Amino acid sequence: MPVINFNIAQWRAWAPGLESVDDWQAWSRQPVALPSCDAAPDVSFLPAMQRRRLSRLARMAFSVGWPLADGRPDLPLVFISRHGETPRTFDILSDLAADQPLSPTQFSLSVHNAVIGLWSIMRGETSEMTALAAAGDGLEHGMLEAAALLAEGAPAVLLVVTEEQPPEAYSAWIDDVPFPYAVGLLLTPGNNWQLSLNSTSDELSKAHWPHALNLLRTLLGQQTTCQHAWKNRVWTWQRNL
Amino acid sequence: MSELHREIKELIIEALGLEDISAQDIGDDQKLFGEGLGLDSVDALELGLAIQKKYGIKIDADAKDTRNHFSNVASLAAFVTAKQAA
Repeated sequence: MPVINFNIAQWRAWAPGLESVDDWQAWSRQPVALPSCDAAPDVSFLPAMQRRRLSRLARMAFSVGWPLADGRPDLPLVFISRHGETPRTFDILSDLAADQPLSPTQFSLSVHNAVIGLWSIMRGETSEMTALAAAGDGLEHGMLEAAALLAEGAPAVLLVVTEEQPPEAYSAWIDDVPFPYAVGLLLTPGNNWQLSLNSTSDELSKAHWPHALNLLRTLLGQQTTCQHAWKNRVWTWQRNL
Repeated sequence: MSELHREIKELIIEALGLEDISAQDIGDDQKLFGEGLGLDSVDALELGLAIQKKYGIKIDADAKDTRNHFSNVASLAAFVTAKQAA
């Protein structure tokens, strides 16, 4: 059974209306779907010329990641999103369908590693950065990447997992984003947490909330374990008390 | 400020998402790229597209003088006027 160990030194999360630890604590006790809205997190810490092109997805990633990276130069980043910039993709495809020329800005920022590219430029950060899209257990694959970086000697690794509310046209296929959200974890070497992988042939029931938010509920609550299954993989997060 | 100059400034602000800037803030002869307004290469492509769409003109990205046409609002206005007359 493969196992990795790490500490979660700090975390941040954002969803419409949920910003502070208190907000998330209240949500964790009684999770509810959030009404859809256009609210985006405040990223006024970025100069106006730099933030003007940021989509909500990028703003979410920056808003949870920036404070965690504060005072930590040379911080590797693992960025995870299953669906990525679906609103940009949809706009581009709509232009194509209407025989319109494509917006160079939309196109250049629609690729999956656009956010880490912007992060690198805006922070002058040249550490390792990875953008992952790994279906239903992207968070765990991102943790593996982060654990490898920690094992290589990185004093800390920043992990950001975020999903944007997809345009209505995708609703028949995308059923795991009840509302936009981002979670940032500052990971350091240690043994406070362990993540292990087992396989199963049973069909396991799907969690009601996105897995990153279930993990947040574990972080905020008294539970010591949190399980997540995808295909034949069962991931167990264990907090050592 | 002529009508065309104002229109081009509005187009720059709208196409490039310059939220905090109004048409009055952009000088006719102010450099658009690098120092000056501070636009970059992605802006150049986006602005080229917006100009082509709005004025129904064709811009040759490889032509030597294209860079000069895009140096400021006044040169862009002159370029649009010349192209529309052609």
